[in-house]
Amino acid sequence: MSYIIASTLEQAINNLKTSDGRAQVIAGATDLFLEEFPLELVDISSVPEILGISRSKGFLSIGAGVTHAETAASSVICSEAEALSEASLQVGSPQVRNMGTLGGNVISAAPAADAAVALVALVAKASLIDLDGSSREVFIEDLYTDYNRSSVDSKFEILLRFLIKPAQKGEGSAFLRFAPRAALALPLVNAAARVRLANDIIQEVRVVVAPSKPAPTRLLETEKLLHGAKPDLLTWQKIEYTASSEVEVRGSMLRCSEEYRRHLVGVLARRVLQRALVRARKVT
Amino acid sequence: MILVPGHKEKGFISNHKPPENKVNQGPDLWAKVAGRALYGIDLQFPGMLCGKILRSPHPHARIKRIDTAGAAALPGVRAILTASDIKQKRYGIVVQDELPLAADRVRYIGDEVAVVAAVDEEKALRALEAIKVEYETLPAVFEPGAALARGAVQIHDHIPGNIAWQRELERGNPDRAFREADLVVENTFSIPSIHPTYLEPIACLALSDYLGNLTVHTALQAPDMVREIMAYVLDLPFSKVRIVGPIMGGGFGGRVYGNLKLYLLSSLLAQRTGLPVKMQLSREEEFSIGRPMIAAELKIKMALRRDGTFLARESEIITDNGAYSAQAPWVTKTLSERNDSVYRIPNIRTRACLAYTNKVPTAQYRAYGNQAANFACESLIDQAAAKLGLDPLAIRLKNCTQAGDTTVHGLKIKSCALKDCLKEAAAMIGWSNRNQNYGYGISAAIHASGSLVANKDFRGASARAVLELDGRVTIFSGEQDYGQGTYGVFTSIAAEVLGLEPGLISLNSRDSLVAPYSQGALANRQTTIGGRAVQLAAVDLKQMIERAASEMAGKPIKMERGCLKSADGSIIELRAVACYHHNRTSGLNLTGVGSYVPPLAEYDETGYGNISVTYSFAAHAAEVEVDRETGAYNIKRIVSVHDSGQIINPLSAGGQVYGGVTQGVGLSCYEGYLFDKGRVVNKTLADYRIPTALDVPDITYHFVETTDPEGPLGAKGLGEVVQVPVPGALANAVADAAGARVTALPITAEKVYRAITKGECRS
Repeated sequence: MSYIIASTLEQAINNLKTSDGRAQVIAGATDLFLEEFPLELVDISSVPEILGISRSKGFLSIGAGVTHAETAASSVICSEAEALSEASLQVGSPQVRNMGTLGGNVISAAPAADAAVALVALVAKASLIDLDGSSREVFIEDLYTDYNRSSVDSKFEILLRFLIKPAQKGEGSAFLRFAPRAALALPLVNAAARVRLANDIIQEVRVVVAPSKPAPTRLLETEKLLHGAKPDLLTWQKIEYTASSEVEVRGSMLRCSEEYRRHLVGVLARRVLQRALVRARKVT
Repeated sequence: MILVPGHKEKGFISNHKPPENKVNQGPDLWAKVAGRALYGIDLQFPGMLCGKILRSPHPHARIKRIDTAGAAALPGVRAILTASDIKQKRYGIVVQDELPLAADRVRYIGDEVAVVAAVDEEKALRALEAIKVEYETLPAVFEPGAALARGAVQIHDHIPGNIAWQRELERGNPDRAFREADLVVENTFSIPSIHPTYLEPIACLALSDYLGNLTVHTALQAPDMVREIMAYVLDLPFSKVRIVGPIMGGGFGGRVYGNLKLYLLSSLLAQRTGLPVKMQLSREEEFSIGRPMIAAELKIKMALRRDGTFLARESEIITDNGAYSAQAPWVTKTLSERNDSVYRIPNIRTRACLAYTNKVPTAQYRAYGNQAANFACESLIDQAAAKLGLDPLAIRLKNCTQAGDTTVHGLKIKSCALKDCLKEAAAMIGWSNRNQNYGYGISAAIHASGSLVANKDFRGASARAVLELDGRVTIFSGEQDYGQGTYGVFTSIAAEVLGLEPGLISLNSRDSLVAPYSQGALANRQTTIGGRAVQLAAVDLKQMIERAASEMAGKPIKMERGCLKSADGSIIELRAVACYHHNRTSGLNLTGVGSYVPPLAEYDETGYGNISVTYSFAAHAAEVEVDRETGAYNIKRIVSVHDSGQIINPLSAGGQVYGGVTQGVGLSCYEGYLFDKGRVVNKTLADYRIPTALDVPDITYHFVETTDPEGPLGAKGLGEVVQVPVPGALANAVADAAGARVTALPITAEKVYRAITKGECRS
C-alpha cells in the first residue's frame, strides 16, 4: 500500500496519473474505514487550491478541503451562508468535524449529509479539475448518481472548491436537523432553506430535504406555493402538508416509520423556512 | 474475626467515616486517566495464538456435517475444534442448557459451531471461511408468545413447552382486594433486550501449562463462580483453574459471568495446543452474541382505594430468554417481584414466564430487570393518581415503604429513608412550583443490598488483612473493583479500623490464586457484605498487632489512631512489630482474617422472606420539555436522591449516580435490540444508540444518610439501585408534558408523537 501526501495540486494530479486508476483521493478520511481499504491513497488535505474561504467574483469560494469545524467557526459563513454554518456545526461529532471536509461530505454522497443539504439550498456550485487539467462547474445536486455514489470518481478528478452567492439584503437561509440523539446519529430528516425577499414578497426560494432521493431533494411544489407570496399571508399548514405530500421517503426499523418521516419533513420544512424568513427580514 | 449470626459484636463498630479527601481511590484511577491501564484486549503473551469462532448463520438448524479438513491444511492454523473433537458437558447457571460447542443443532444466529486457533487473526478468519458446514434449517420461533403456544417448535428437547422458568405467586387476597377496590387501573408495558454496552468488548487469554494448570486472564465481576463452572465443564480440579483479572473496561452486570463460551473455548484451544490463546469479541459480536438482558412484557393491574391507598397488584409477565438461559430466570424473578416492596401493597398476584426463542441468549444486567418493573409500575401509579385526582408525589408518600416494615414478600426493612428521598427529590426538582411548560415525573425504587439468595449455604464473604514488613497493610479479598469504587471503600473501612492513612492500605483481589473465594461483584454485595468482611479482618489484625507489640515490648500496648503506644507513652513503630513477628515465626506475616456470615435468608418455598442483608432506596424526579409537533423531548433535569446508608466514598458514590442515571437515560430513551427474523439489526454503536455526552441531562444528587444496623459503618449498596428509578421518572415526566403515555421503552420521539396524536401521523 502507498500513502502519498501531496503538497501541490500538480503533485496530486501526477500521482493520480501514474497510479493508473488505482489511487484514490482522500482529505479528511473519516469514512475511509467504512469500506474496503484502498491500496493507494493520495492525501490532498494540504493542497493549497482546496483550502481556505475567500471571495471571488461576487461568490464565496470555499475550499473542498475546508473542515466542518472551520466552516462552523467562520464568521463570513455564519453571516452570509447561515444554512451552511448551522449544518457544519451539527455534522457527526467534534472529532468528525475536525477531520471531515466539505468536499468529502458531498463526494461520499451519503443521502442525508448535513453540509450537502445546506449547499444545495444555497445553490452552490462545485468546481472540479480532471487529470488533464480541464475544469468544470456543476451544481451540487447534479453530482449524485445513486445512494452513496457521486459522479466524481476521485481516481480521475479532484473537487477543488464550492461557489456560493453570499446572502444579500433581503436574503436569508437556515438549516435544521432531526436526529434520534444529539450527536453521532444519522438524521431522520434534515432540511435547509434559502429565501430572497423584495418588498416583502418572496422572489426566490429553495427548500431542500433529505434523506429522500440520492441527492438532497428540492421540494418543488412547496417552492411554487411560496414563490411570489407575502410571508405574513402564508398558510403554513398548507405548506407543511404540501411538503410532506410531495416528498419520497422511506421507513426503516433502525430509524423511523415512513409515515413519521413524512410528517417530520412537513414540520421541518415549515420551521426551516420560517427561520430563513426571519433572517431575510432582519437584513431588510 | 468471624462474625456469624447471633455473635455479639463488642463495640468495635464506629460510624466515623474517613474525610472525603482521605479516600484512597486506588491505583487504577490514574492509570486510566493517563492511558496506562491495561485491559483484557491489551494482553500480549509470547507465542500467543488467536482464537476465532465459527457461528451459525441460521436461527434454528440441524448440523448435518462439518468438514474442517480444508481449514486445517491452511498455513498458520494450529487447532480446529468442533463438538466431536471435545468431551462435551452440558452446563448452565440456572438451567442446564448449554454446551461448549453446538453438537447437532444450532438455536440462534451466532451459535458456536467450531473454533479455530491460528498464529494471527487473519489466518484464523481465513480458516473459518474454509470450514464447510452443512445445515438443515428448521422452523424457528422468535416471539415468546408464539414459543409458548401449543405445538410450537421445541428449542430444547429436554425442556418442554419452551419454558425456561416460570412462577405463580399470590400474597394476601388479591381477588377480594380487586372486588373491594374503588379504582382498578391496568396497562401493558414492554421493554426490549438491552446490552450493558461496557466500553471494552470481552477478551480473554487462556494458558494451560504442562502440569495441567489452567490460567485465564480476563476481567470478571465474579471470577470464582466462573472458575466453578469452568472446572466442572473442563473436568479440572477446582484448584487448577486460576483467573487473573486485568483492569475491567466496564461490567454493569454483564461481566458477572462474562462470556463463558469464550473462556471455555479459549481454554480448550490452549489445552489442545499448549500455547496461550487469546480471544476477544468484536463489537458486532458483543451485540449479536454477547448476553443482553431479557426483553419483557408486563401486563399490570392495580387496585386502589379512593384516597389513593394501594390495595393490590396483579402482574402477568412474559420475558424473552433467547436460545440459552444463563441468569435469565433470576432476572425474571427480580423483575417480577422486587418492585412490589417499594410501596405497601398487601395483596399481590404474579404470573411470570421465561420463554425460549431462537434469538440471542440473555443473561444479566445491572439491577436485574428492576428497572423494567419500575417503568411499568411507576407509570401505572401515575395513571391511577390522575384518575383519582391525586398528586403523584402525594400518592407515593402515602404508600411508600418505611423502616420497620416487613414488605409483602417478607423483606425486613431495617433502615429506610424512602419518604425523605421522595420529599427531597420533589424539593430539588421544584415539585410545588412546577413550570407549566414542562413535564414532571417522580419515581421510587428499592433494591437488595447484599442479596443472599444466590447460595443459601455460602452467602457472606471473607477477607485477610496482612501487615507487610514495611508497615503497610494489604487487604486480600475476592470482591472486584471494576470502576465502581470497591478499592476506595475497602481501604477506607480498613483504614478506619486500624487508624491508618488510607494510602497505606492496598487491595489485592484480582488473582484467584491469592484472593479468598468470593461470590463477586453482584447483587450490591461489595460494600455491604465484602466490606464487612474487610472490617472484621482489620479488627482481627488490630488485635494481633496489639498482642505482638505487647509481647515485643513486654508491656501492654494499645493501637490508637495508627500509633502503638504503651501506658507510659513509649511508641513502637508498626514496621518493628511486623518484623518482630516475621522473625519470631520465621516468615509469617501478621494476618487478620475476617469472615462475615450474614443472617440466614429465611424464605419459604414461595420465596417469602428476607432475602438480603439490607435494602437501598431511591427516588428520582425528572423535568422534560416536549415538542408536541414532533414528539421530540429534551430532558432538562434529573434529580437523584438515595438512601444508601452512610456514604463511605463520596467521590465514587457521586460517580455511580452520574453513570447510573446516564445509563438509565440510555435504556429509557435510546437503547434496545431490534430483530429481523432472529437477526440483530442494530449491532454497532452507530445503530445501538447509547447516550453521547450531549444527551446527558443535568443530573443532581443527594444522599439521605441513614445508618444501617447491618452494613459496615452503616453503609448500604448503591451501584444498581441508582439506575432503577430513571425509566419511571422519565416516562411520567414525558407523559405529563405530552398529555399522553408511551408504554414501550425506549421512549422515542415517534412513539411520543403517536401517543399525542393517538397513532396518527397526519394532523
